[in-house]
Amino acid sequence: MSETELKADDWESVQTENLLVAEDISGISLSYWQNVWRRFKKNKLSVLSFAFIVFLVLMAVFGPRLTKLSDSDQNRDYIHIPPQIDLYSVGSNTYIYLSPSMQLFIASRNGRLLGPAESLEDDIFTKQRVYQINGQQIIVNYRQKPAKVLYENESEVPLFRKKVWNKSFWFGTDAVGRDLFVRIIYGARVTIIIGFIASLMNLTVGVLYGGISGYLGGVADNIMMRIVDILRSIPRLLYVILLMVVFGSGLLTVVIVIGLVDWLGMARIVRGQVLSIKNREYVLAAKALGAKPKRILLRHLIPNAMGPIIIETAMNIPAAIFTEAFLSFVGLGVSAPQASWGTLANNALSGFMSFPYEMFFPAIAISLTVLAFNFLGDGLRDAIDPRFKE
Amino acid sequence: MFVTLFVIITITFFLMHAVPGGPYDFEGQNLQPEIVALLQSKYHLNDPILKQYLDYLKGVITFDLGPSFYYSGRSVTEVISQGFPITAKLSALAIFLVIITSLPLGIVSALRRNRFADRLIMIFATIGRTIPAFVAGTLMIYYLAYKLRLFPIFGIGSLKHYILPAIALSLATISHLTRLIRASMLDVLNQDYIRTAKAKGLSGKRILLKHALKNASIPMVTVLGSRVASLLTGSFVIEQIFAMPGIGRYFTQAISNRDYPMIMGITIYFSLILLVCMLLVDILYGFIDPRAAVYSKKR
Repeated sequence: MSETELKADDWESVQTENLLVAEDISGISLSYWQNVWRRFKKNKLSVLSFAFIVFLVLMAVFGPRLTKLSDSDQNRDYIHIPPQIDLYSVGSNTYIYLSPSMQLFIASRNGRLLGPAESLEDDIFTKQRVYQINGQQIIVNYRQKPAKVLYENESEVPLFRKKVWNKSFWFGTDAVGRDLFVRIIYGARVTIIIGFIASLMNLTVGVLYGGISGYLGGVADNIMMRIVDILRSIPRLLYVILLMVVFGSGLLTVVIVIGLVDWLGMARIVRGQVLSIKNREYVLAAKALGAKPKRILLRHLIPNAMGPIIIETAMNIPAAIFTEAFLSFVGLGVSAPQASWGTLANNALSGFMSFPYEMFFPAIAISLTVLAFNFLGDGLRDAIDPRFKE
Repeated sequence: MFVTLFVIITITFFLMHAVPGGPYDFEGQNLQPEIVALLQSKYHLNDPILKQYLDYLKGVITFDLGPSFYYSGRSVTEVISQGFPITAKLSALAIFLVIITSLPLGIVSALRRNRFADRLIMIFATIGRTIPAFVAGTLMIYYLAYKLRLFPIFGIGSLKHYILPAIALSLATISHLTRLIRASMLDVLNQDYIRTAKAKGLSGKRILLKHALKNASIPMVTVLGSRVASLLTGSFVIEQIFAMPGIGRYFTQAISNRDYPMIMGITIYFSLILLVCMLLVDILYGFIDPRAAVYSKKR
């Protein structure tokens, strides 16, 4: 081999442009989870849903501190006040509002209720109520529908504005004068707790049960999975209901019951995953190095099955939320002064024809939340396992 | 199947007997202790639990589910046989609705993939999945029955009475199945044999109905079987909202009345229906997809 001497002009500086192109082609190397996050971010709907869920969690945690009222505070003066109110003007910058239960309220121009008007007389025979406002008498005549608001000389009080948003009670009030907005915020707590517990049970009991069953294999696996199969073939809701009957209703019971039954699907999925990866080389290597089964399961098998586990968890939350709403709606879930969205919907049912808004807001809350969790689940699935994407 | 049913009966029985308090501790009903004792001996509540359990098992086999604690003088079997036709009609109509809507919707959305029709159907399917049945039911009562007066609000007089509840009940299943059929149609349409059929010059309609649909309906049958469960449990709420005297309503009432034999009886009855449905699906499955039958025989 002859030695050639390299001179300075044998060298050529690399074009930086080319370098950039080359780097571009090879791509920035990303870890698995970075990749997932990158794909997830592309799905605007999922990101939006994620933001909504974060907002919901924040509301559930901090929301009750922002309001002075609690979910069980009743105010007998404000019964069945809708979120949109019609204001009448009685002059000198005073506005009044007539509630569906024929109570007069003094209101501000922009729809804030200042308080009930001073009542002078209530004649149930002629169906008239007389109120005193700013020194003049206002008569509410509810002999006919719609009721009339009259001055003393029988001339009608002019309508100022229709459908002003109620600034005092954003979502209106219910049959005993509880603020629906506040109750919905408190209800979000219940929903978030349910979702959280369901995920927790999935991630602990479901993952461990499935993991152990898959890892052990053989007879143990067979027995453990038969148990799951039998439990799964029992209609879930039926035995949730049975458990509720046994334990009595209440938030804690709902949480326990949903936790008890919610891990079955996860156990099956994890078992399948573990079965398919437990014969890989790295598991063999770990075994050869003398790792104990516990370590293999927790450090090697489960982390590698994390993708499906996360998808299943996200998909399970809406089902748990639905179950809670269903139970509360049937009257087995969260009990009285406490509010959950299902209870709110149930309470609204009796007066539904007259006060549809009382049903409307909790229903929207449930639907939006379930929708958000569904989109989040879809987004996660597409991000974690792009093969699923059509 | 019988093992499962046995497990269900056992679980139900012991759960119901684990409830603290007897069935005669109704509020405001201060029964004298002698009467309670008499009632308890009449309903064999003083027997050892194992004997009660065996008696109950015997009863289930002979379709005697015991007397109702709440409706005095009526047996659980009687109440079930009274309520069942209504629930059955409701569920049958719901299943019918599911099939006649989700099948065409799923096919259209697969064929017009990513076009306007597909988008529209998918939006519908997503919304249908997220609205709880009780919300859909009440909204429909309010707008269609109360405001527009298109349908009667509640009752069971005519077929018209069943339409709204059936729609409310089937909505979630329709959206679920529509998505499923779309996915499996898309999968099937990309298969080689569809291309072969096209190459043979078969008409689009023939390919769709004869080749694609048959294969695409396999997952549908499976899911439909398990969705019967959600239809039945959904009927609890729907019957409550629409005030229909079906089994679901008796069940929810039994819960609030703490009528334990009734709760047990209806649970077991529902589970039985469900298991039969699953079995039917399994059998049907063998007909639609011979591969499954062969596979299970080999095992």
